[in-house]
Amino acid sequence: MSAEVSAKPDRALAFALTFAIAAPVIYVICEMKNWPVFTYHPGTGRLDWGWAAAVKDEGPAMYWFGWNLSMLIGGVVIAGLATLAPGLAWRLPLSFTWLFPLACIPLYLYALKFFWLR
Amino acid sequence: MELVHLVMAETTFWTILLMIHGLFSMALIGALTHQAASVLRAPKAGGDGFAARFSGVKGEVYASAVTGLWVVTFLFGAWIYVKYRTYIRIPLEQEEFWKTLGAFELKEQLASIGLGLLPLYWLAWRRSNDKSLQPLRKWLTLVLALFGWIALLVGHVVNNVRGFGS
Repeated sequence: MSAEVSAKPDRALAFALTFAIAAPVIYVICEMKNWPVFTYHPGTGRLDWGWAAAVKDEGPAMYWFGWNLSMLIGGVVIAGLATLAPGLAWRLPLSFTWLFPLACIPLYLYALKFFWLR
Repeated sequence: MELVHLVMAETTFWTILLMIHGLFSMALIGALTHQAASVLRAPKAGGDGFAARFSGVKGEVYASAVTGLWVVTFLFGAWIYVKYRTYIRIPLEQEEFWKTLGAFELKEQLASIGLGLLPLYWLAWRRSNDKSLQPLRKWLTLVLALFGWIALLVGHVVNNVRGFGS
């Protein structure tokens, strides 16, 4: 299952493979740890860097946009580094690219138990 | 935004955006389901029936459309998510639709994770002659199809519980 495509590792595939593994992991970590790049307050349209609490009487705070940006920045940085040594990227098991995303379903079903058990 | 509200009610505007989001998502799920059926099909499977024709498509033809549709659907979803957070979610919390809210939380996470898989999915299908990339094509397509179906069904249920025109 792993490293079957190492005949001619190129930078584009190394980037895409590393991004596909890193981005979901970064997203889940940022979401679970609540590490958004920014917080958006839809009631007032205000943006805050990093995590910010909802302000009383100004509506909720939104972190999802910030988690996505965290994922994109982190994924691009790590995948960019992988292009420096494309051969190394192909040592990563290809199955990581689908096993971790699939594992996210039971992971989130558990993490969101607050909603199911009320 | 004020200009838009001069020509239509605010709820109409958001409902139109939601419908565009929904139409893109249906096009996406149609393409993904055909492609998923094609990767599950036995290589030498023949036949002339519905199932054979449904799965007998060239998967690589769909890859760019799926990638573009996922991104566009995601962007429209992100746009209407701002309104959902205040106009839909808060009333659902007040009415204690916790399972509906939880399902939407799951949908937003899966849509984001799917976004991270797109570059590899697209590249693996672009190089469809490379047999060593076949497991990647197969599994990434199946994962994206699963995520897409969950997102579509959850979005449909949430809109049934409380749409923008409610």
